[in-house]
Amino acid sequence: MRILVIEDEPKVGRAVREGLQAEGYEVTLAATGEEGFFVASSQPLDLILLDILLPGRDGIEILATLRKRGIGVPVLLLTAKDAIEDRVAGLDAGADDYLVKPFAFPELSARIRALLRRGKPESPAVVRIDTLEMDMVARTVSRDGQRIELTAREFELLEFLVRNKGRVVSREMLAREVWKETSRATPIDNVIDVHVARLRRKVDDQFKSKLVHTVRGVGFAIREEE
Amino acid sequence: MSALGRIGIRGRLTLFYVGLLSLVLVIYAASACASLMRDLREQLDGRLDEDVETIEGLLSWDGSGHVQIMTAKLNEDMRDLEPHFLEVWSASGAVLYRSPQLGAQDLGGAPGPAGGSRGTGHASMRLAGTRVRFAGRRHSIDGVPVRLRLGLSEEPLWEEFWEMVTALAISLPIALLAIGGAGYAVARRALRPLDSMARQAHKITAERLSERLPIGNPDDELGHLGRVFNETLARLERSFEQLRRFTADASHELRTPLTAIRSVGEVSLQRTGDAAYYRDIVGSMLEEANRLTRLVDSLLVMSRADAGRIPLQRSAFPLLEMAREAAGVIEVLAEEKNQHMSITGDPAVEVRGDRLILRQALINLLDNAVKYSPEQGSVEVRVGAQNGEAFVDVHDNGPGIPLAQRAKVFERFYRVDKSRSREQGGAGLGLSISEWAVKAHGGRIELDCDGEPGCTFRMRIPIEPNAMPKNQEQAL
Repeated sequence: MRILVIEDEPKVGRAVREGLQAEGYEVTLAATGEEGFFVASSQPLDLILLDILLPGRDGIEILATLRKRGIGVPVLLLTAKDAIEDRVAGLDAGADDYLVKPFAFPELSARIRALLRRGKPESPAVVRIDTLEMDMVARTVSRDGQRIELTAREFELLEFLVRNKGRVVSREMLAREVWKETSRATPIDNVIDVHVARLRRKVDDQFKSKLVHTVRGVGFAIREEE
Repeated sequence: MSALGRIGIRGRLTLFYVGLLSLVLVIYAASACASLMRDLREQLDGRLDEDVETIEGLLSWDGSGHVQIMTAKLNEDMRDLEPHFLEVWSASGAVLYRSPQLGAQDLGGAPGPAGGSRGTGHASMRLAGTRVRFAGRRHSIDGVPVRLRLGLSEEPLWEEFWEMVTALAISLPIALLAIGGAGYAVARRALRPLDSMARQAHKITAERLSERLPIGNPDDELGHLGRVFNETLARLERSFEQLRRFTADASHELRTPLTAIRSVGEVSLQRTGDAAYYRDIVGSMLEEANRLTRLVDSLLVMSRADAGRIPLQRSAFPLLEMAREAAGVIEVLAEEKNQHMSITGDPAVEVRGDRLILRQALINLLDNAVKYSPEQGSVEVRVGAQNGEAFVDVHDNGPGIPLAQRAKVFERFYRVDKSRSREQGGAGLGLSISEWAVKAHGGRIELDCDGEPGCTFRMRIPIEPNAMPKNQEQAL
């Protein structure tokens, strides 16, 4: 999978490249709009990460030109401008998604996966991790064949973690996807922590191998213990 | 207008009243002249009448069918009769006598038939370039009816008249000039406070908002203007002060996590540790970065709210349902403290508003209530309607808020309990965000800490959305 990152801030560009490479993507980094445009129009790509505020030609302009030339690669816009008008302008120009800086890397990674997965079949109805079995349709959870009773919220939380198995999800992602709370100006983080703690009590406490992990400063992940 | 505009209020005022005064004076002068003329003519007519009577006594027939004046007597009686013009006409229209001074000219032609008015009374006419006033009268000499006409030069009268006109024509403009000058000076004096106000206002900048305009007489128009201006300045000063404090507080709040990031980073670089150690350090720095992000997000929300740039997406929904949702989010925090959270109220109460924003407001209130209620305490939520307003009460049984601090709880960055850590207490923005949200819906939040122990925060939202403030209407 080839991803082009057009980002003029060197630190951010390098960090994103490194992070994406660690996830197995092939990454090209362009520091200016012209350079990025040249790469995008001359090489086959699977996705473009495009910063809106660029010296010279800005991101929206580049995006509009690419779309006009019939280049339909999915584009994820990055910007510090958190204003509805900018979102609308970006989506109008043909962007597929939009991420506001500062973003958490797990968030970026999840959005990229979502864009690349587009049009591909949904994940299976029953997922197994270690001895945990989760049935998304029947909405049941068991471990070691033993039924675990979860509240609706806990089930959704676990479902989100399981669908992102092996990857870290941030509190922002949980707030948005599970609690449908878009504003970060809320006490929601405490609420999330309490729910994760309860989930852990039900899913992990009585079992030897732990599945729910806290990654300090980033978020949570579900994975089999090494 | 533009030419008038350039000469200023002072000039315009002066021009205006000088113009008005000229008009009045000209009318006055004209009527004075006219009345002078009338008086002079009356005097002249009086003299003419007297002279006619004198002359009547001097007329006699000369025997040849003409009339003669007994000049010897005339010279005796009327030495100054010389400049008179005299004509005597017979009833049939023949000239019986004509003064030598008249030559071939007559005094207005033959009089009409006897009994007609023409040829009697007084009239003016022009005679060889000289204005003449004459009087006509019927008379009889030895029983024969004749008509007399006696004329006197009007020139001295006109001379007097023109003298008067000249005197007025010279003195009026001088008087007007003097009055105009004085008026201009008075206007300048009256407007002088305006000059000093303008100079003072010029000195007022964002940094020197404490300056005020000088007010001479607070009761006159300029004083009123100055007062209004000063009140505006006071309001501006207050909002600048708020802004300054907000900026100071915000940078203080931002500095705290930044300091933590720096010191954690610096300390860890001076030590050598294993991967787990560094992982922990990086994690701790990320936690602070998250806090910074949240804080910046809150500040952004607030600055956009201040600018009226958060559009409300209104829909009608039952308030109780929204309250249950909000409580559903916060409930776990109450459970952790073994608190009891109850939601009661009228399920029929509906409001039209932005559900997410109002839910956010209530979540903040609930979080606050849970935070300040003791373990095993209770948080009660009541939903209802009263006087066209829907309300949500959030009652806690915490320690209450001291009277002096109640007004401040909605201020940004304000924490009632200073000893609480930031982690526990948040950044002190929650209640001000709630207050903004409710105000944006035309409502308000009331705080009641009297009566039962603990405090009640009451969100009041008008059920009729038309009651919302105008600026929010525009934001939609």
